[in-house]
Amino acid sequence: MSKNSAKKVYVGMSGGVDSSLSAALLCEAGYDVTGVFMKNWTRDLPGMQCPWAEDLADAKRVAVQLGIPLRVFDFQTEYKHLVVDYMIREYRAGRTPNPDTMCNQEVKFGLFLRAALAEGAEMIATGHYARVGNNSTRFPSDIQESRHDFSGQPLESPQELGLRLKHHSANQEPDRKNHSDSFESSSNRTELLRAVDANKDQTYFLYRITEAALGRTLFPIGHLTKPEVRAEAERRGLVTAGRRDSQGICFVGSVGIRDFLSQFVETAPGDIIEQETGKTVGRHDGAIFYTFGQRHGLSIGGGLPYYVVSKNMAKNEVYVSTNLNSGDFWREELHLTDTHWINAAPEPNKTYQARLRHRAPLIDCSIEKNLVRLAQAERAVAPGQSAAIYDGEICLGGGVIAS
Amino acid sequence: MIYLDYAAATPVDKKVARAMQPFFAEQFFNPSASYGAAREVRAAYADAKHRLAQTIGARPAEVVLTAGATESINLAILGTATENPSANTVVTTAIEHAAVLRAARTVGAEILPVDERGRIDPDELYLAISDDTRLISVGYANNEIGTVQNIRQIAEIIQEIRAERAERDVRNPLWLHTDASQAAGLLDINVARLGVDLMSLNAGKCYGPKQVGLLYVRAGVEIRPLIHGGGQEMGLRSGTENVAGAVGFALALEIAEKKRKSEAKRLATLRDDLEKYITREFPEAIINGDRKQRLANFLNFSVPRLDAERAVFALDQRGVYLATGSACAANKGTRSHVLTAIGLSPELADGSLRISLGRGTTTAEISQLKPILKEVIKNEQKLS
Repeated sequence: MSKNSAKKVYVGMSGGVDSSLSAALLCEAGYDVTGVFMKNWTRDLPGMQCPWAEDLADAKRVAVQLGIPLRVFDFQTEYKHLVVDYMIREYRAGRTPNPDTMCNQEVKFGLFLRAALAEGAEMIATGHYARVGNNSTRFPSDIQESRHDFSGQPLESPQELGLRLKHHSANQEPDRKNHSDSFESSSNRTELLRAVDANKDQTYFLYRITEAALGRTLFPIGHLTKPEVRAEAERRGLVTAGRRDSQGICFVGSVGIRDFLSQFVETAPGDIIEQETGKTVGRHDGAIFYTFGQRHGLSIGGGLPYYVVSKNMAKNEVYVSTNLNSGDFWREELHLTDTHWINAAPEPNKTYQARLRHRAPLIDCSIEKNLVRLAQAERAVAPGQSAAIYDGEICLGGGVIAS
Repeated sequence: MIYLDYAAATPVDKKVARAMQPFFAEQFFNPSASYGAAREVRAAYADAKHRLAQTIGARPAEVVLTAGATESINLAILGTATENPSANTVVTTAIEHAAVLRAARTVGAEILPVDERGRIDPDELYLAISDDTRLISVGYANNEIGTVQNIRQIAEIIQEIRAERAERDVRNPLWLHTDASQAAGLLDINVARLGVDLMSLNAGKCYGPKQVGLLYVRAGVEIRPLIHGGGQEMGLRSGTENVAGAVGFALALEIAEKKRKSEAKRLATLRDDLEKYITREFPEAIINGDRKQRLANFLNFSVPRLDAERAVFALDQRGVYLATGSACAANKGTRSHVLTAIGLSPELADGSLRISLGRGTTTAEISQLKPILKEVIKNEQKLS
């Protein structure tokens, strides 16, 4: 019997292929696995009641296939309060929020983790493309566990646990040349590492996770690429192997953010003003619908396309420009608010990397007192979005970009 | 594969499929067209309707072809309601198909409760009918638990009320509709013997094509169309006739009627044998529905501490196809209104499986099913 047989893991199962394979890998590694379907907040849309029912059914199909129990955790009330209300509040304030990050921080690695631990689970697992690392034992592995257990008992290394599912060729390993310093200087840290699949890496959405939560977390597919995940799921005959990826913010669903927001906020038409001239060049149906840098949806005819430069929520005005070279669009410095550092705050006079959007390339930067200096000017992102900061493959945390 | 979900869908009989075939690519003409070739198609359609009418003991002019029983039901309920309906224009039961309940609620409905076997109380029905009531809609055989209502007896009550109304000079008419979708091929569907004014049938439940159904409308029933257009089906259901569907439905219903008595007997024997096995292996199991007044092919049972959905998925993975309490309910993540109406606890409702046998079911299949069912239920009970 494997040593893992006694180790109880609650794995979040959404009915998608990533979490399905995660559950399968945990079972194969010998864990005592319980699947958990998180019922988050949804609105009934016309002709589409309970859109989660089908996802739950898929999660259950996989659970049955794996021979594990599937629990349903109903977080609808909390989710509405913590994620949906936050999103609406941010939009009202003229910012462009990041509900996925909030969902991870508050729901998956907050509510879910606490509920799982309360039921006697030792670890949770999710199907995120990310890895957990410990600075003293960093493997190109597979299912990784923290060496540091927050109950005070050290856990076995992944090799001891027999978790090496598959060896990876060196070229699949993430670049680690940038963090060699911190590698030596810190000890016993549980770190958030980028996924092997650079294209799917989800650490941008995970930067607000706490070290304590990370120490209780497994990311069973963080060492695999998406095509590998599909292939592995297919090889196991998982019923969700061919399921398409979910798109966008789950609770907004197919209606789109515009229609979604319209149901919650009163909007009024207002002026679209050209930044340079102060001239009114068109009308909009509510400043809340416009996001910094946005081009589409501006019903202004003829000439060069306009881009949103800024908004004045109080006046319900949207400012635009045709000049993409305008200083308004480019930033060399970013002020972060509400910063969160997983292990420790970054040190001044050191080169890190910043990521300003999910899947965007990493940009060299330095950080001092929440001021991020980018090595080169970057197309700016909307206030309210996040900047995640990396030291090579380690995600250090990040913050919310201020107005 | 062991298919045991005939209440959800039946395979199209091969003879039926063959009979329909010419009307897709060869005799595709619009039956209303003036050339000779169209006349043949028109004749085929008229013949199909004639045979459908004959099989249910009606006249061809009393049969409206529709795109399935859901449409038939909507036509029966919405088509007979007045412009200004009252709170109990329709009196129906708590265990009807969603088509009946949802349509009835839009015109104002009094919903009758049922007992733990799924039977309505004739006295309660009598008391629920007021002078405003125009339509009684009671399903012939329930689609989740198979309970059969005594339609003949209900027809007699309605006859009584009509006489009373006439005496008091109350002009509001009163009609009886039955949704007989599950009954075709298993119960007597002769409208005269049943005493109904309206009856909905579905080809897709009796080895005919899906999206084909009929509404029997007894001559004299005041009814308005829901779909307007070219005035086909005596103006009650416009749209170019589905000739292939009608031809298929006519033959399917004839075959079903011809096999009815022997099939009902054969399936009841297989069902009873399976039921005995389940009650023996799972002494805590509860058989849902009326043990006597029940469709011959139905077996709905509840097992405590079982997530029936898990059992259905596990059986699926072993090539056995059957349903939880109600396929519709399961897909929507809600509990079956039928199982709730018969007073089943949420736990037992969630642990309910519906097995519905059909023409393809064999003794060998049932023998094969038994150990699989036993193993799956025992296993999933541990994980539920």
